[in-house]
Amino acid sequence: MPERTHYDAIVVGSGISGGWAAKELTEHGLETLVLEAGGPVDPQHDYVEHVQPWQMHFRGLGDRKELERDHPVQRGCYACDEVGQKFFVNDNENPYTNPDDAPFKWFRGRHVGGRSITWGRQVYRWSDLDFEANAKDGHGNDWPIRYRDIAPWYSLVERFIGITGANEGLSQLPDGEFLPPMAMTVVEQDARPKILKAFNGERVMTIGRAAILTKNHNGRLACHYCGPCERGCITHSYFSSLGSTLPAAQKTGKLTLRPNSVVAEVVYDPKTSRASGVRVIDAQTKQERQYTARVVFLCASAIESVRLLLNSKSARFPDGLANSSGTLGRYVMDHHYGSGASGTVAGFTDKTTYGHRPNGIYIVRFRNVKTQHPDFLRGYGMQGGSGRSGWGRGSSMPGYGAAFKQSLIDDLGPWTLSASGWGETLPNENNRVTLDPTVVDRWGIPAARIEVRWRDNEHAMDKDMMTAMSEMLDAAGCKDIRTHGSTNPPGHCIHEMGGARMSKTPNEGVLNKWNASWDVKNLFITDGACMASNGCQNPSITYMALTARAVDHAVASMKRGEL
Amino acid sequence: MDRRDLLRAFGSATALALLPTDTIAAWSRVAAGFRPTDGLTDAQLALVGAIADTILPRTDTPSATDVGVPAFVNVVVAENYTDADRAAFLAGLDAIDAHSSTNAGASFMQLSPDARGREIEAIESSKDRRGDPARTYWRLKGLVLHGYFTSERVMKDVLHIEVMPGRFDGSAPMKIERAHPAGSGRHA
Repeated sequence: MPERTHYDAIVVGSGISGGWAAKELTEHGLETLVLEAGGPVDPQHDYVEHVQPWQMHFRGLGDRKELERDHPVQRGCYACDEVGQKFFVNDNENPYTNPDDAPFKWFRGRHVGGRSITWGRQVYRWSDLDFEANAKDGHGNDWPIRYRDIAPWYSLVERFIGITGANEGLSQLPDGEFLPPMAMTVVEQDARPKILKAFNGERVMTIGRAAILTKNHNGRLACHYCGPCERGCITHSYFSSLGSTLPAAQKTGKLTLRPNSVVAEVVYDPKTSRASGVRVIDAQTKQERQYTARVVFLCASAIESVRLLLNSKSARFPDGLANSSGTLGRYVMDHHYGSGASGTVAGFTDKTTYGHRPNGIYIVRFRNVKTQHPDFLRGYGMQGGSGRSGWGRGSSMPGYGAAFKQSLIDDLGPWTLSASGWGETLPNENNRVTLDPTVVDRWGIPAARIEVRWRDNEHAMDKDMMTAMSEMLDAAGCKDIRTHGSTNPPGHCIHEMGGARMSKTPNEGVLNKWNASWDVKNLFITDGACMASNGCQNPSITYMALTARAVDHAVASMKRGEL
Repeated sequence: MDRRDLLRAFGSATALALLPTDTIAAWSRVAAGFRPTDGLTDAQLALVGAIADTILPRTDTPSATDVGVPAFVNVVVAENYTDADRAAFLAGLDAIDAHSSTNAGASFMQLSPDARGREIEAIESSKDRRGDPARTYWRLKGLVLHGYFTSERVMKDVLHIEVMPGRFDGSAPMKIERAHPAGSGRHA
C-alpha cells in the first residue's frame, strides 16, 4: 500500500507545542500527521535519569573530547552532560551562524518529544501586566489578546498536564489550578516571612510552579524525587509530549507520527492562496516527499519555524512565506538571566534535605508592578534555592586524614541561599533571524543567521537583580553575601521567542489573534515564534495554551467551511 | 510515593528497565578495571594513590585506593584532559615529589604516613594555588574527592544514597536519616 500523503492537518514538530497541537487536533477527530525532524525516543532504553555517577566513565564530569567534537555549542547547556548529550543535536549537522560581535547560543534537541524531554519544567501564567506592556511603553506592537482570552486555556493545560505550585493571589502572576506544592527547605521557610516584612509584602518568595506531579494524575505517577529530570523520566512524572500529549493523540487512532522527517518548505498554492502542505526530506535517506493537508501547524520552535518560512519562497512571497508585513524574523527575544546573589545562612545545621526536589523557589516580579523604576522598563522574576554543600566543599578546603574525611561525611557544611533573575527583553526589530547566504545544514537547507543583542535596558536590569537579591538575602539574615553578574549571551536561557509575532493588524505582524497567518489563513504558528513580547515568565505553558486555543479556532473554522 | 509503591506500580518487568544495563556497560569501564593507554605510569599511579590515601585514609570506611581512586584519576587525566593539561598535570606530579625531597628530605613515597601528612600540610599552606606544586595538588585533591564520593561503595555504604527517595523533605533531621535511611532502600 502506498504511503498516505494527504491528511486533515499537518503538525511540524513533536515537542511542547507540537504535542499539544497533535492532541487537540486528533481529539477533534482530524487525521493528523506529525513530522519530527529527529529520530524516535524509547523511554525504556533511552532515559538515563537513574544512571549513577559510578556507572559513568567520567563519573559525570562529561566526555570532553566527544562533546567538543559533536556538541561544541550544545555543551554550554547544563543538561548536555555525559549521559544527557543524546538529547541534543549534533552541531556539525545542524549549523547556524551569528555575527562575531553578537554571540548567540541555540540549544536544541531533534527527536520525538523535542525539548519537552530536557526542559526546565517551570510554568508561570502571564498577566495583563505582560500583555499590556508593549502598548504602555511603546516598545514592540500591542498584543491582539489579553489575559481573559488565554486564562481558560491555561486552566485546560494545567488540568491535563498537572502543575505543582502554591497560589499567592498576586495580580502580576495569576494563580492556577495546582496540585499540592512541593516543600520549601527549612531556610526558605525562614527567609520568606523576613523578606515579605522587609519589603512591605512586595517581594514574595514562593515555591516554584512546575509541570511535575506531586500526586498521581491522569494515569501518570507522582514524582519519586530522583533528581535529574533533564535526562528523562521513566514514570513520566514531569510533563513531556512523549509521555503525555502524544500518547493522548495516539489513543484517538487519528495520529500518524513520522520521525526523521526534516521539513524543508511549506508549499504555497497561489491558486487558493493557502498552504497546500509541506516538502519533507527524509533525515536518513534524504529522499524528498510531499504531504498535503487542509491546515498546517508550525510547532518547530521559534527559530526553526521562522527559518522554515524564510526558506519557503514563491512568486507571491519572495521574502519568505506569510511575510507581507516584512516583520518575519524580526523582534526575536530571549530572557537575559543569571545575575543575582547568594549568601550563607547561619544555623539549621541539625537539618538537611531528603530527596532531590526538581524545583526551586520563585521570587515573583516586583519591579515596575506598582511604581516605575528609574533605570529600566519591564521586570524580572527570580529563581533559586537553598542547600548544604556536602562533600563538594572539600575540594578547596585545607585538610587531610581521618578527621577530614569524617567531616566530609558527617557535616554537610553551612546552608546557602541564592537566586538569580530572569528578565524581560525589550522587543527590537534589529534582533533578527535571517537565512545565512552560504551555510547549509546536513540536508542542504540554509542555516539560520541569528543576530540578537542585549541592550541598555537589559544591562540595567541585570545590575538591579544583583542589588535587589543582596537586599533580600540581607533581610533574611544571610552572611557572606556575594553577587554574581551573568555573562550569558542571548539564547542561553533557551527561551528564544518572537520572529513571527501576533498583531492587531496585518501590516505590523505575521499572525492574527488566533495564531493564524494574516497572509495564508490555513497556516498556524503556535510555538515561541508567535510572541510579541516575552514577559519574564518561563514561556512553555503560554505556548501550550495558545496552541490549544488556536486548534479550537481552526477546527471551528473548518466546520464552518472557512478552512 | 515511597519506593515500595513505586516498584509495585512499575511491575517487575519495567523495574528492570530503571537501569538500562546494556547502556551502562559501555560507560562504566573504570569500575571494570579499565586502564587507558597513554595513562599514568606505575610510579605515577603509586604517587597518586599515596597522596589520595593520605587525604582519605582507611578508617571504618574505605580509603581512596580501596575504591579505585587512582584508576579514576588515570582515566580523567589520560582521556579527558587536553594534551596541555595532561602534560601540566604530569609535570605537577614531579613538582610535588621534588617539593617533598627538598622540604622533607625524601620522595613522597619514601615518607612515613605522618611525614606524608606534614608534606601535604606544607603544600596546602601555600597561599598561591596557581603555581606548582600547589596548582597540581589542588587539582588532584578535587579529583580524589570526586572519585571517592562518586564511587559505588562510598555512595551506597557510606553516603547511603537513594536512587529513588520517593519523597522530598526540606527539613529532614540529620541524625535519624543517617541511622535509618528511609524505606528498605539501603543497598546491600
